[in-house]
Amino acid sequence: MKEKQTKQAKPSGGKLWAKVYKYKGFYLMFLPVFVFAVIFFYAPMLGVRYAFTDYNGIKDPTFNGFANFAKMFGMNNFWSAFGNTIVISVVKLLLTTAAAVIVAIFLNEIVNLMFKKVVQTIIYLPHFMSWVVTASIFALILSPSSSGLVNSFLVNIGVLDSNSTIYFMGTSRWWRPVYYIVNLWKETGWQTVIFMATLAGINTDLYEAAAIDGAGRWAKMRYVTFPQLKNTILTVIILNLAKVMNLFESAFVMQNDAVLDVSNVLETYIYYQTFNSGAIPNYGYTTAVGLFKSLVGCVLVLVCNHWSKKVREGRGIV
Amino acid sequence: MKKKVVSVLLVAAMVASMTGCGGNDAGTSDAGTSDAGTSDAGSVDAGTADTGAAEGDDAAASDVEKPEEITIMFDGTVPTAENGQEQFIAKLEELTGIKINVIQPDHDAYYDVVGQQIAGGDWPDVLILASTQMSSYGAEGVLWDMADAWNSSELKTRQEAYNGAGVVESMFIDGHLYGMPATHGNGCVTYIKQKWLDDAGITSLPTTFDEYYEDLKKMKEAESVDYVLAASGFLNAEAPYINYLPEFYQDAWPTFYQKEDGTWADGFTEDSMKAAMERIAQGVKDGIIDPETNSYATSDVRNKFYDDSLGVFTYWAGTWATNIKTNCENNGLDGTMAVMEPIAEIKAGVQGQHDNAGGYIDRVSPAWCITTQCENPEGVFKYFIEAMQDGADTQFLWTYGVEGVHWSTAAETLYAGTEDEKVYADGEFHMEDNLETPGTQYTKAHIDPMLALTELANDPRDTTVQPEAMAAQELFNSNSVGAFVTPSTDVMNEKNGDLMTEKQALVAKVALGQMTVDEAYAEYESGGYAQMSQDIVDSLNAQ
Repeated sequence: MKEKQTKQAKPSGGKLWAKVYKYKGFYLMFLPVFVFAVIFFYAPMLGVRYAFTDYNGIKDPTFNGFANFAKMFGMNNFWSAFGNTIVISVVKLLLTTAAAVIVAIFLNEIVNLMFKKVVQTIIYLPHFMSWVVTASIFALILSPSSSGLVNSFLVNIGVLDSNSTIYFMGTSRWWRPVYYIVNLWKETGWQTVIFMATLAGINTDLYEAAAIDGAGRWAKMRYVTFPQLKNTILTVIILNLAKVMNLFESAFVMQNDAVLDVSNVLETYIYYQTFNSGAIPNYGYTTAVGLFKSLVGCVLVLVCNHWSKKVREGRGIV
Repeated sequence: MKKKVVSVLLVAAMVASMTGCGGNDAGTSDAGTSDAGTSDAGSVDAGTADTGAAEGDDAAASDVEKPEEITIMFDGTVPTAENGQEQFIAKLEELTGIKINVIQPDHDAYYDVVGQQIAGGDWPDVLILASTQMSSYGAEGVLWDMADAWNSSELKTRQEAYNGAGVVESMFIDGHLYGMPATHGNGCVTYIKQKWLDDAGITSLPTTFDEYYEDLKKMKEAESVDYVLAASGFLNAEAPYINYLPEFYQDAWPTFYQKEDGTWADGFTEDSMKAAMERIAQGVKDGIIDPETNSYATSDVRNKFYDDSLGVFTYWAGTWATNIKTNCENNGLDGTMAVMEPIAEIKAGVQGQHDNAGGYIDRVSPAWCITTQCENPEGVFKYFIEAMQDGADTQFLWTYGVEGVHWSTAAETLYAGTEDEKVYADGEFHMEDNLETPGTQYTKAHIDPMLALTELANDPRDTTVQPEAMAAQELFNSNSVGAFVTPSTDVMNEKNGDLMTEKQALVAKVALGQMTVDEAYAEYESGGYAQMSQDIVDSLNAQ
């Protein structure tokens, strides 16, 4: 056994094909995955070349250098969408993570197992609801009409006059807070899963030791639980930070004409460029925007990986 | 050895599953279940298949080869799978002798999918397009110019005899005809619930905006409702843009139009548009217009009208009058509707055609187009497009659907035991209960009988079209003006997406009181949108 491990640890480059033959079963199993990745992940990347062309999907693309990028950087709507993407994604990430940590710690403190499971199930469920349904529900709840739950409540307790209800979903000032709240409602529960797993793995000796030292519940949380969660929190944040540019469905289903200035993100900007003109879009331009988005995302991944090495004692995430 | 066998089996299973996925031509289905159409194709005499063509047309028909198989793409205005599409296509195959493959995306996403289909390079032979898309795709060479085919066709003669040819002529763009409408474009009229009028003590319909607005206020007060009317968006992105709030827009037109002297202009920058935005903002402020118009889909507005949250609804004339009545009655409401003639301000200035006397907008009808990838466009025109309006069996199918599915002459009682019970004697033509939404009868298959461009022999429309639908349609026909097709330019293709998005945003913000009209136009200027608009105008004038 030991001899076999040594052989595996020191492969000889010259006998590559012999090794491939030897482990042909594994390579055969890997083949479909490889083919899948090439066809669906790498081959589409050839489409990146359209970013440097005028291309409407009908006539052959014509090379135009960096004209699409020049146009993109000169468009107010592009910069607005770029800023919105960063702000909305980062704030959403921080809020959702913070809420998930707090909820996970509270859940961990619940001693009645049945009650704990019921609570967990209830807070996980919204995650499985489609964004379209979620947006419709909140549109009803937040409606400015007398059937809107929130406005009716505010009117009934005297905060608002019945003639001055708030159109939460259609007001720039309110749209983002509403968006964050909806995200908290939908995703907090699901995000607690990873923190609950970490909490379950904390050595109970630490709590006993803390108790012997006179620590109460709050002190245990502060000096045992939270430090043990720190690595997981940072890893989750870093991993999700790399994905901040990918924001479409949730923003798309909740936005409307009146709040585009605060809700239009890069992916919805691409969508509107493609489908809102009533004319034939320039796929070259929308590809350029998509490429820019991907490049920013790529840089964020690398930066996050660099940070993660510090957090994870030299081990990067990617 | 065992592991190897397992691994080989796993690989085989994965490869098989991937192959299976690849083999499914998503979105394309052979809707016909019968091969009758195909097998008969070779034996059907051309003149026989074109059931409505005059005898003299047979000679021309013999010069045009009939296609054996075509792929057609259409939206939800043709029977869906849930509404007997399979039987519809089978019957169509039988009548035309052409095997027909169908692509029918979700109605609301139709133009998104059309864009993807065209960009993907696998174009259908025939597809239905709205005027804007027809203009764009025509200019890019996607669509076959059917001008010559139409000019020399029997169809043109039949349309001329029925006052339908003018609709086709209005669709010419620089001498090219890229699509054949199946009907008049139709448009929207304003429906008011009679009960709301009665409750408010209103005895005559308003004829001016001031009267209209006063009446809306009275109805709001009488019914103690939050709002009186709503629409699906303050400004629509697609033509005719403003048809759901005509009394508020009046003579305003939010995009490009051709002036009497032949030059082009952007109506968004004109005073009429600014005044329209002021009126809409005041309507929202006064609780007349539902502010959620900003985010409503048409179905939301319909449902609010049906559940009595709203009393005024600007919507399609004709068969929709019956749908509105029926749905209100199904909710226990009085379904009697008053249909308003356009107010004086609309009549005084036509939306989009500022220099003529006006009315409601008769939109440019969606049209059936043949793509340039079609191998036999003359044959498709002759045996599919032209047959659709043959005045006989094929037109009957496109109008009323399939016997036993969409209509029947058998003795039958519909909705037995309910207030809506309808008893039909043997031989009495009647539409069947809707398969998708039981409780309502079909009103048409694709061609609205009241909007046909050619006469249909033995048309039973007098027995199928309800009086309220006929009344609404006649009012519209007497009080509407035709819209026009705006040509497309490269500059428009490049810039109009951003421009339209910004226009919609500004109108919405002004409507909701988040911005004044002056602030909106200042932003329009400073954001570079005025310049974009001018660039498009220049490109249109340079054509």
